[in-house]
Amino acid sequence: MAITRDALPELTAVGAPDERAARSPARQLRRYGPIAIGVLMALIMVVVAAAAPLLAPLSPSAQYADAVLKGPGAQDRHVLGTDEFGRDVFSRIIWGARISLQVGLASVIFAFALGVPLGIVAGVLGARVETVIMRCADMLMAFPTLLLALIIVTALGGSLVNEILAIGVALTPNFVRLARGLALTIREQDYILAARALGGGQLRVMARHVFPNALYALVVVATLYIATAIRTEAGLSFLGLGIPPPTPSWGNILSEGRQYIKCCPWITTFSGLAIMLAVLAFNLVGDALRDLLDPRLRGE
Amino acid sequence: MINYVLRRVLVAVPMLLGAMSIVFFAMRVLPGDPCVAMMGDQATTEALADCTKNLGLNRPLAVQYVDYLWRSLQFDFGNSLRQGYPVSEYISRMFPHTLVLVLAAAVVAALVGIPIGIFSALNRRNPLIDYPLRIFALLGLSMPVFWLGILLLIVFSLRLDLFPLIGGGDLDGAIAMIRSGEVFTQPRDFLAAVADVLHHLALPAFALGFTLAATVSRLSRSAMLEVISQDYIRTARAKGHHERAVVYKHALRNMMVPLLTIIGLFVAIALTGTVLTETVFTRPGLGKMLVDAIGARDYPLAQGAITVFTVIIITVNLAVDMLYAIVDPRITYR
Repeated sequence: MAITRDALPELTAVGAPDERAARSPARQLRRYGPIAIGVLMALIMVVVAAAAPLLAPLSPSAQYADAVLKGPGAQDRHVLGTDEFGRDVFSRIIWGARISLQVGLASVIFAFALGVPLGIVAGVLGARVETVIMRCADMLMAFPTLLLALIIVTALGGSLVNEILAIGVALTPNFVRLARGLALTIREQDYILAARALGGGQLRVMARHVFPNALYALVVVATLYIATAIRTEAGLSFLGLGIPPPTPSWGNILSEGRQYIKCCPWITTFSGLAIMLAVLAFNLVGDALRDLLDPRLRGE
Repeated sequence: MINYVLRRVLVAVPMLLGAMSIVFFAMRVLPGDPCVAMMGDQATTEALADCTKNLGLNRPLAVQYVDYLWRSLQFDFGNSLRQGYPVSEYISRMFPHTLVLVLAAAVVAALVGIPIGIFSALNRRNPLIDYPLRIFALLGLSMPVFWLGILLLIVFSLRLDLFPLIGGGDLDGAIAMIRSGEVFTQPRDFLAAVADVLHHLALPAFALGFTLAATVSRLSRSAMLEVISQDYIRTARAKGHHERAVVYKHALRNMMVPLLTIIGLFVAIALTGTVLTETVFTRPGLGKMLVDAIGARDYPLAQGAITVFTVIIITVNLAVDMLYAIVDPRITYR
């Protein structure tokens, strides 16, 4: 079946790398450079989100009547300018990091917690259980992530929890498929046979043997899906279906700023930049982790 | 082969049904009464009851569900609550705009993405070439299409005034001319209409195409890497072929086979992209129609748009699977 969507990691096998070349400093930098940059960017984002009340110079909702739609550096207090209500764009972006990160992490955790057990059960048990689970997953896979999240969030209404739920459900089939694929390989291993010979039941085999062995690859892909989740959240908020204003999220800052791109392009420019950097950070970490940890998923 | 095609179609049918059921039930749990949305809060109870009856919303859910499936099969999605026109008419009017956008974006993505992917794969040992190209791919993958769209609008429409800020151009006019045969009698007018469409299309197609190019370049890079490690490439080289001949005659042609499978993926991403792209560029199209319909609580319109999106994606995937089986006879349905 070729029902795929989003930028799924390319599943291509490779030969063993040249050992000597692998040890050269240039190669090391090439290998660990991206992950270092990605981890650093992601860490900065986490710190910014966690310490938003301390880091934001002004309140994200405070309106300054003397600085409506002023450019970066206005009044010596608005580093990135202000919006149509005279609110500080920099502070709003800092607070917006919270929403993006919360939705990004929570929706992936939700999808992981729901999808992985289902995928492992499907892969290990096979037969009818597998058919039922996989057909349901395929059905959801027919919708692109944003479209499915859009349907769910329209049905439930825009709020933080609903957005997490919508994106989480939309991402779940990806984890089901991946976990099933991994479980199918793992269940053929000798140690699974050994575990069964020792009297291990299905549940024990799945929880103690299949899951830990699939964990590596799952975590790598989960990191990549954090990027997808952050981008989807921004997209939903941009369409006006995410967190309702005045709570700042990068997508709704950008969406509100859209009406003022002629006079005040800084609102959209900086909020969009924040979205791109956050997505880039998790893409970098996910890509690099995949290359480093799991040659089975490596793209080269 | 026939067996494979039949089984593949049989799998697609329940998937399509399932996806349509999801759309139907999601639209039924939506907050707010469609009749209230249509007639406003001031409507009398009798008027509301009348409306509910007219829309068939007083019937049991199961009856409504079967009715929806049956009508959808006939491309009948009811009338738009806001405008009163049939939804199918709307969809047929908006579809060409979205199709043109997706096609143009696909051209941009293929022209940019495939060469970059191949070049990056062939020069993978040269970090000065491979690295910047991979960074390009990562940037494209991380850049939200709506942000890129806004940046393009700021620079090329507002500052430089080279491209229009909103609209989709005279596509309806161009299509009407093709239908009426005026394309032959008044070729000048037709070309003017086409030029207008392209003028309006340039920025959206570039924005959507650029973000898609990233995915295409990554996939063509790994497809190329896989192909050039094959034995027949070594044989070609051993026969003394020039490297260029090896790449163009042997590697490139074989690389296109795995690349085919991504068309399905591509259509899914591109269609989602149109929702955002059309909104940013205020272009008519299915995506913008869907967003507007949701905003206006016009459920039949939203339902119709989502159904069409889903049907397109499932159909394209089905077609790709078959195409893949034709191109590569080793593939059979398991």
